[in-house]
Amino acid sequence: MNVLVLLAFILFILMILIGGKKGARSFFALFLNFGVLLFTIIFMTNPYIDPYIVTLIACTVISYINLFFINEVNSTTKTAFISTIITIVIVLFFIVIVTENAMIQGFGEEEIEELSVFSLYIGVDFVKIGASVIIMSTIGAIIDTAMAIASPMREMHHHHPSISKKELFTFGLSIGRDILGTSTNTLFFAFFGGYLALLIWFKDLSYSVGEIVNSKIFSAEMITIFCAGTGVALIIPITALITAYFLVKKGENKEKAI
Amino acid sequence: MNVIVNKFKKMGYKHVSLYAVIALCFVLSVIFVHHNYSFYERPIAKVIKTNLENTTELNDMYQNEDRLFTQSIIAEIQNGEEKGKLIHLKNEYSSSGAFDQEYRVGNDLFVSIDTKTKENSELTGTIKDVKRDKFVLIVAWVFILTLLIVGKKQGLLSIISLAVNAILLSYALDFYLNTSNIGLVLICSISIILFTVFSLLLVNGFNEKTYAAVIATLLGTFLSLLIAYLVMWLTSEKGLRYEEMQFITRPYKMVFLAGLFIGSLGAVMDIAITMSSSIFGLYEKNNHISVKALKTSGLEIGKDIMGTMTNILFFAYISGSIPMIILYLKNDSALGFTLSMNLTLELARALAGGIGIVLTIPIGLYVSIFFINRKRER
Repeated sequence: MNVLVLLAFILFILMILIGGKKGARSFFALFLNFGVLLFTIIFMTNPYIDPYIVTLIACTVISYINLFFINEVNSTTKTAFISTIITIVIVLFFIVIVTENAMIQGFGEEEIEELSVFSLYIGVDFVKIGASVIIMSTIGAIIDTAMAIASPMREMHHHHPSISKKELFTFGLSIGRDILGTSTNTLFFAFFGGYLALLIWFKDLSYSVGEIVNSKIFSAEMITIFCAGTGVALIIPITALITAYFLVKKGENKEKAI
Repeated sequence: MNVIVNKFKKMGYKHVSLYAVIALCFVLSVIFVHHNYSFYERPIAKVIKTNLENTTELNDMYQNEDRLFTQSIIAEIQNGEEKGKLIHLKNEYSSSGAFDQEYRVGNDLFVSIDTKTKENSELTGTIKDVKRDKFVLIVAWVFILTLLIVGKKQGLLSIISLAVNAILLSYALDFYLNTSNIGLVLICSISIILFTVFSLLLVNGFNEKTYAAVIATLLGTFLSLLIAYLVMWLTSEKGLRYEEMQFITRPYKMVFLAGLFIGSLGAVMDIAITMSSSIFGLYEKNNHISVKALKTSGLEIGKDIMGTMTNILFFAYISGSIPMIILYLKNDSALGFTLSMNLTLELARALAGGIGIVLTIPIGLYVSIFFINRKRER
């Protein structure tokens, strides 16, 4: 039997055992995400379609799946969705500026030897794809953080309907601060687990610090980690603000209606 | 202006000095990284003039259209014996830029100077690489400042925890490379214990909540590694394409397992701390809450976070392969072949990490309940 099939099967069983119906939906969402990612990649191979637009659409679809399909359409998921999209647009602007200046696109010196059988002149814009890669690797964490803040804020508003916008915002920020450390940790370890081979390679071939920092692969990966961390931090005030605004406004409307 | 001054007065001496130190670090490091040429042994040249010489349309064997440009560059050497002299360089780049790029005025480049021309005042040479340290630094500062502004004290703690973990990892790898008789997985196991204890204690302090999270994290990661190992053994690793692994100087299977191990740790830690803090939170609100009620609420919370956490790992792992997949597809490789060449290891990692995440939910739940029961008996 195939390793992947067996691992996926075990994950599926565990998710159903622990999560029931919601677990099954979460597992299915993984497949949907994979499908969206595949389509994104296929669209990116077309040199006439702008990768940034493909990325933005893909991020919207992915947020839609992970917020509205796994959970349900309610005020929490709606505000989390809006915050995610806004954060992604802001972070994308930042990442675009960085990738266009730092020249970290495409493949590094260390990789190029084994790619000699390939034609590298394939007409797609690797700078734009590089920026998309950074955004796509962060999207999971951004959605998770948005959800983790919006959900307790709604509970708070539910239990204390008279809470002011400002108090609710401060509450959201304080929750965000509590999860900031673990969220950045999650990303950090995930990336370092993936780069372990590269780190051992640098040490084995005794690269100097200067060579490591300036090499395309390492700087690209550090920039990815930092941009991901910035995105996760940035979503906190954005979600707190938007959720506070929507929840309190909704409350006011209700009062007026009465 | 008065508002700002009043705000500073309110913040107190300690805060102001902290901000001052951070601002000073920022300014000094930016100045340093823009003037650190003499610290490099390789010659660095700053581009002062570029000239586009010719453009050719290009069709490769798969009918991909691209454009090739040739650029002549005049740059000024910034370090070494030739400092201050001008150097003539040539750069060929494509509009896709998979391995090349256009250089603009102001870029710093690592160059090699042709020895023949050293006698003349006009030097020629070839471009080796780009000096990227200033960009890495700026992005690092944006990250640090965002974390500090949003997270305040917790932001500072997370930065410290990230930095210490990175240093720990670096030392662990050095230790592994210097003592070749100890396995990488064993060293990673020890480092994982250190990472977990350190990160969770730093963020949450010494209390039962943290102890429960540490135990749950360790049980969760080791159990998921065991499952991944058993699965690989049972299936005799069918379907894993190790040949796609890059940068391999050591036994690849161990590197893969160790990477899988470290990669899922952060997510498992996140789940463990979420479970233990919410269950302890419920207990603190109501000391007489029944174990059954704790279990139900715990599982509800677990269900909510399971999906989004597995997604974090999924996207963090898979996205990195996008450029390579595009390269394969544009070189007329079949989709199935491309995916199996590029994604099997990443998918295996994401799935194994997912198993760790899901397993940690009940583990975290029962460990927290165990600690609460012990507390009650006292």
